[in-house]
Amino acid sequence: MPAVRPVTAPPALPPWVAAWAMLCLLALPAGVLGEIRVTDDAGRDIRLAGPAQRVVSLSPHLTEILFHVGAGAQVVGTVSFSDFPEAAARIPVVGSAGQLDLERILALEPDLVVAWQSGNPARQVTRLEQLGLTVYYSEPRRLADLADTLEQLATLTGLPESGAARAEALRQGVLELTRQYAHRPSVPLFYQIWDRPLMTINDEHIIGELIGLCGGHNLFGELPALVPRLGRESVLAADPEVIVGGGSGEDNRAWVEDWRRWQGLTAVQRDNLFFIPPSLIQRQTPRILEGAALLCEQLELARQRRPESGQ
Amino acid sequence: MNRLGIILAVLSIVALAVMGLSLGLGSVALSLGDLWAVVTGGGEPLQRTLILELRLPRTLAAFATGGLLAVAGALMQVLLRNPLADPYVLGISGGAAVGALLSMLAGLATALVSGAAFAGALLSTLLVFGLAHGTGSWTPVRLLLTGVVVAAGWGALISFILAVSPGAQLPGMLYWLMGDLSHASHPGPALIVLLVVVLMAWPLGRSLNVLARGSLQAAALGVSVRPLEWTVYLLAAALTASAVTLAGTVGFVGLIVPHMLRLVLGNDQRIILPASALAGGILLTLADTLARTVIAPQQLPVGVITAMLGVPVFLYLLHRSR
Repeated sequence: MPAVRPVTAPPALPPWVAAWAMLCLLALPAGVLGEIRVTDDAGRDIRLAGPAQRVVSLSPHLTEILFHVGAGAQVVGTVSFSDFPEAAARIPVVGSAGQLDLERILALEPDLVVAWQSGNPARQVTRLEQLGLTVYYSEPRRLADLADTLEQLATLTGLPESGAARAEALRQGVLELTRQYAHRPSVPLFYQIWDRPLMTINDEHIIGELIGLCGGHNLFGELPALVPRLGRESVLAADPEVIVGGGSGEDNRAWVEDWRRWQGLTAVQRDNLFFIPPSLIQRQTPRILEGAALLCEQLELARQRRPESGQ
Repeated sequence: MNRLGIILAVLSIVALAVMGLSLGLGSVALSLGDLWAVVTGGGEPLQRTLILELRLPRTLAAFATGGLLAVAGALMQVLLRNPLADPYVLGISGGAAVGALLSMLAGLATALVSGAAFAGALLSTLLVFGLAHGTGSWTPVRLLLTGVVVAAGWGALISFILAVSPGAQLPGMLYWLMGDLSHASHPGPALIVLLVVVLMAWPLGRSLNVLARGSLQAAALGVSVRPLEWTVYLLAAALTASAVTLAGTVGFVGLIVPHMLRLVLGNDQRIILPASALAGGILLTLADTLARTVIAPQQLPVGVITAMLGVPVFLYLLHRSR
């Protein structure tokens, strides 16, 4: 089993000694050596005797966050589609986010499992806890939660300073975009997250928050479901100024281009059919800032294309 | 009687072998020596956890579910005098599915999902029982039509629940509907139900053999047809409800196992019923072992494998019987 260990100990030195030495090195700058405590998104207290050295991540976005804060070498197991950064794709896979292989997870003997509360099967994750593993539940719903998640996962893996820096960068980035775009004239838009069935997101969704900070107005933001299903007719009736969509691939504009069938749409007449690669905006990772910047620029372009802006 | 003894002995040996295989195979490779060490009370803690807490409950649950469905299928086929009858044809699984999906939609805990599935199965059983009873004369065709229509109603409700559920809930729901043993951790009650029902149905075997030839002949030969038919219906319902509560709606075991056994062993219910319990268990245990390992670490729902094995076998049997 190609377990990823941060330190290769010489034969005379058992692996735990090396791990202990590394733990001391990591903990020294903080001045404290001992228990780590954080509260996860399920509101539970997570306690570790020391920084987690063998982490299993149960979602692609959590894997990405762990790499982002510099804990990539401590990740010993991931789920399928954990493809960013490239190094993440080489870590042993323990099933898919929707169906886990409990045997493999146990066999990796992790000291921390980071789970995705709404994406992993609750029964399987509960089972892991019953079998004695420490589970951190993540459920970032807003950009602020995402920054908190960065800090918490960094703390659990013994990298609190890196986590604080990355979280601060994220918060600053969000603040800058807000300052630049949130007050700009409102742009009524439709965000297409899926094609068949046609699905959008409401204001509670993290993408809804991005639309808000770019000065957009989600025409379907008031709907009660987080990811409402729509008929094409209701989009035609709402006549959005901008249609933004992901796609089934990283460069598949087919979904948004399909709207050109309706020449009467304002978005079609002004060529405001925009595409954002789904991995930049539909994953709750720090890369969402890139997606947000792209969205803000697209909305700004739409404002310039307004007839009254006098091109 | 002697023939029955030999058949059951052979099937029991195969069952033990398949269970051993299921305990030994998994996405983590363990040697036979490791397996033996754990079975005899030793072994490393990790290996003990893997075998005793993950594989053993799942293996027993697979065996119990397969046995329950196969016996339920055998009983339904006799009851309805219809070779295409399976445990789900009268809507019991539909009721259970609606119960399970609604409780998943409400975000209830694991135990409550199983409870709701059982309640749904019970409700559907009583509904079909009450409606088919009716006022006029009663025939298996009437029971079958009532059940099929109730099942269609449940099917519509299932589609409705799937359509309005949030995306995050859908994978769990689909896995339940396809049949999934990955959550089954308490197979005890199901094994007891299987044992009790087989012991209860066995003495009825002779009457069932007569019933299979038609209710008129059965009545002429002194069988009290109506009580017998309702007893069979309720026994089959209890078996099916236990199975879907444990593992969701696993397909095809209940349909093909009794047919396979009839082709090989002849249509004697005194042999078919206990043999179905063992053969159904063997098939599902084998299918679940494949589901866990064939594309590991990805896990397939067991229903995928049973249907993939079941469809060609059933088509072959159908073709051959022409």
